Amino acid sequence: MKKFSFFILLLAFVACQETSPDRIVKKGSLETAHQNDYPENLSEWNLFKKPLYALNPSEGLIPYDLASPLFTDYAQKSRFLKVPKDSIVKYHAQEVMDFPEGSILVKNFFYNDNQLEKFRVIETRLLIHEREGWKALSYVWNEDQSEAKRSLSGASIPLDLKRPNGEILHFNYSVPNEVQCKSCHELNGKISPIGPKGRQLNHKIAYGFKLLNQLEHWQERGILNDWPGAENSPKMVNYQSSHEELNLRARAYLDINCAHCHRREGPAKNSGLYLTYEEKSNYKLGFNKPPVAAGRGSGGKTYALVSGKAEESILYHRMQSLDPGVMMPELGRKLAHQEGLVLIKKWIDSDPLAMKE
Amino acid sequence: MLILGATNTMRKLLILSLGLILGACSKNPPIPQSGTTEWIDIESDLQKLFIQAKDSSTIEIPAGHYIFKKPLLVDGKKNLTIKGAGAEKTILSFAIQEEGAEGLKISNCKNLVLSDFTIEDAKGDNIKATDCKGIRFSRIVSQWTGEPKEENGAYAFYPVLCTRVVLENCIAIGASDAGIYVGQSDSVIIRNNEAYYNVAGIESENSRWVEIYGNIAHHNTGGILVFDLPGLTQFGHSTKVFNNDIYENNYRNFAPEGNVVATVPPGTGLMLLATRKIDIYENNIRNNKTAGCAIASYKMVEALSEGQSETNLTANVELAEKDEVYDPYPSKLQFYRNRFDNGYTFPSLKSDFGWLFLVKMPFNTPDLVWDGIRPPEGHLSLCTQDENIAFADLDAANDFENLSTDLSTYQCSAEAWALDLSSL
Repeated sequence: MKKFSFFILLLAFVACQETSPDRIVKKGSLETAHQNDYPENLSEWNLFKKPLYALNPSEGLIPYDLASPLFTDYAQKSRFLKVPKDSIVKYHAQEVMDFPEGSILVKNFFYNDNQLEKFRVIETRLLIHEREGWKALSYVWNEDQSEAKRSLSGASIPLDLKRPNGEILHFNYSVPNEVQCKSCHELNGKISPIGPKGRQLNHKIAYGFKLLNQLEHWQERGILNDWPGAENSPKMVNYQSSHEELNLRARAYLDINCAHCHRREGPAKNSGLYLTYEEKSNYKLGFNKPPVAAGRGSGGKTYALVSGKAEESILYHRMQSLDPGVMMPELGRKLAHQEGLVLIKKWIDSDPLAMKE
Repeated sequence: MLILGATNTMRKLLILSLGLILGACSKNPPIPQSGTTEWIDIESDLQKLFIQAKDSSTIEIPAGHYIFKKPLLVDGKKNLTIKGAGAEKTILSFAIQEEGAEGLKISNCKNLVLSDFTIEDAKGDNIKATDCKGIRFSRIVSQWTGEPKEENGAYAFYPVLCTRVVLENCIAIGASDAGIYVGQSDSVIIRNNEAYYNVAGIESENSRWVEIYGNIAHHNTGGILVFDLPGLTQFGHSTKVFNNDIYENNYRNFAPEGNVVATVPPGTGLMLLATRKIDIYENNIRNNKTAGCAIASYKMVEALSEGQSETNLTANVELAEKDEVYDPYPSKLQFYRNRFDNGYTFPSLKSDFGWLFLVKMPFNTPDLVWDGIRPPEGHLSLCTQDENIAFADLDAANDFENLSTDLSTYQCSAEAWALDLSSL
């Protein structure tokens, strides 16, 4: 493919895009090939009934919900699963379940009319289980909400978000490019879903007017294998629920927000900081653990977690930050998660290390 | 209260101070500046090319000054070459970065080649490459422009969890951690590079079968470091550091606290931390004010971090030890045919060690210094043929009480061991 290199010609400088006193940025372009391996429009997938923006699932698309969801700049999410006819999902309690080839996981990111001026779907992400592994696609919705177009290189969408306290947060919502998807969705070097683990699904949700355990529902539909039943399978707590035990809530929060990278098989394994729900080592969890390659992310602090002292803990510092070189997670958020910060602070301040002993 | 002891030597100090001021001036390398005010935005297209790149293809980035708001990602490619038009011609700047911690982020590639461009001013690391089998960096300048500062990113070059790494003819400037850093990697050659104005010029951490040779490390806080830290995916060993020019590493330590390199005293040429099977030979180690080469255990690092947190350090070391089979003491070290030379009369006084050497070893700052924290077997596994060098065993565990300058116990004939990386 030597020809490939010849495509790369700088074509034109178009309009002045941005100006600052000491920096002028002009738009340039390189020649790229047209990508036509997957549909250009979301509607072509026939996942939702018309009108598309109502996100009303077509036949065979099963809604699901996670006990503890990942924070993405306060976006609401609706999730759906499609498995090919006569195929079966194999149950796993602590890991992502085995979805048969041809499965599609669909996730819509939207804001309600009490969050933005009006209801708006921002993006729809698809994870498609191909023969050679999972493939991640992202579709960005147009402003009139009639269609979403595939985005290879991501997008930046300015939004004004209303918070319940009346505060307006202006930020650029970031749609990841197709490699960025893998920055989080990576397990042992391959793309993998993050959420649909057995313990994340072992609770009831509404199907129309019926409230059913999701896994029981899947079993009834004949698409789930090896599930030992609700009572015999682990259940992750919802970190948003104040009725649950503080330690479990914090661990659930860290699991879904951090552990896709911070685990032995994840892209942040080099840090030695492992934050899965099941992690047993206090040191691996960050207690009295010095940083390895945090750079200025350390914020001048010595340990990832200092039991009893949130303000001295690097983990808490990096959750608060909005500086790209400091903040964690690195991707998928432009805002600080206030409720998450309150939870993690409360947990660290409760001196969890002392309580365990 | 080390400084009080200095009164004894005050007279000599005064006599020599004039000579010092006249004799020790050295020419500093220029501070890198951003070469232009006019930038081109090709972010979306270049990222698209990286995504669409076929295996065994070449992506050429034409000459130009390009600026990016997001990191550029390359994942899962085989035999891909990414090439600029030359380090002076193709400039990739991340000075306006809004998202992601790296400039160029590479993962899960096989036999990737990067060459002939400048990359600068990322918010975190300039180039991070993780989980690659075969990666080569050639003729790349990776830098932070302006005066070196704490806000600069951690690593200019950062291959981690990789095998078969070659980094050659590159220049690293201004990293707030290490200019050239290789971590948790196997079969690595770092040769013929230059590193300056970094906290650590070149650092190999928890890596195995590494050769570091033909490099120039100067005007960093520490020139070349070989470290082993606890709690990681692997421990390092088998590293050869030879034929390097390591001089004037006297720059202030501007690493953010909490990072292990924040403990490196300004004026350190070489530093070995808790690592084993290391050969250091035929290096030119000149004019590093505080120590030509420092040998330290992880216990020392822990002790140095003590002032920064109220956390119980003993508990921490216990946790680290309980967790992994980690040896905090350096061992199997060999030194031979190195040329130590220090034209400075006084150590850098920007660290406690500088003060310590000033008081305990006036006008004779050590070429080779060991923290003296003894491993359970009692002695340091060090073999040296280097003669006429100033040595210090600090006995740091006992408040430097029995500081010794006797190197004779460690004189022996080194036996070079084989390391063949010729296939890289």
